[in-house]
Amino acid sequence: MFPKLDPILHSELRLAVMSLLAGVDSADFTYLKKQTGATSGNLSVQIDKLTTAGYISVEKGFKGKMPCTTCMITPAGLAAFNEYVEALKAYLK
Amino acid sequence: MEQNKEMTAQESLKLISETLNNSRRDILSKSAKYYVLWGSLLTVFSLVIYLLWHSTGKASWNLLWFAMPAFGYLFAWMLGKNDKALPESFVGSLTGKVWGIFGLFSITLSAIAVFIVPMPITFTIIILLGIAESITGVILKNWPIIVGGFLLGVGGAVAAILLKSEAQLLLFTLGGVILAATGLVVKYQYK
Repeated sequence: MFPKLDPILHSELRLAVMSLLAGVDSADFTYLKKQTGATSGNLSVQIDKLTTAGYISVEKGFKGKMPCTTCMITPAGLAAFNEYVEALKAYLK
Repeated sequence: MEQNKEMTAQESLKLISETLNNSRRDILSKSAKYYVLWGSLLTVFSLVIYLLWHSTGKASWNLLWFAMPAFGYLFAWMLGKNDKALPESFVGSLTGKVWGIFGLFSITLSAIAVFIVPMPITFTIIILLGIAESITGVILKNWPIIVGGFLLGVGGAVAAILLKSEAQLLLFTLGGVILAATGLVVKYQYK
């Protein structure tokens, strides 16, 4: 029997955001937007969903005079991401 | 990129793999310009000091070395202004710390050698430079950088003993070229 895929992660944009954050300490909203090619509105909604799930944390601040939103993956998010990857591998065996 | 697109397991893994690779490439190509910067500065400073020392016979031109970090950090700050949108990464901060520690050791030992206790400073710093280079290669998983650092450190140490006075400075010229070449290797490897 195949393991159930985490519905929070099994979405193209959310998975891309989690994949980006899994490889770095933190990344700002502008970088995530550029890398995913998503619109600001859509990306904001997905970041909120990941934050609500406890998979990422968000810090709002300023870089110079510009507002800056920085996202970081949480330990729970990293665990869920690793579990998701293992589940995917099971599908491919 | 769509939010609700149904993905197969293959598509999901491909997305993860591509995203991680793109992110790694961005981060490493970001660090490349700093190797080119410090390598170029090291080459220019060593050559200028060598020529001044050689033509005047005065070793006091070595005091110019202390100006190099000032130039380096100023240029690094200017280059870093365009990095705002790039992420902070463990690899990036680790290599930064390795070179920060190299700089700290080099400046402190040079100051001690000049003002307090004379010591074979070229011999010491060329080994430190080689070690920092090799550790960077280990972090970046890049064999040419590991080997380049090893050859620079070991070969440079032997040459520092064999060469006399201002000719030792040419070892730093070689070190600068290797450092700048490291930056170019990283840049084109992760382009």
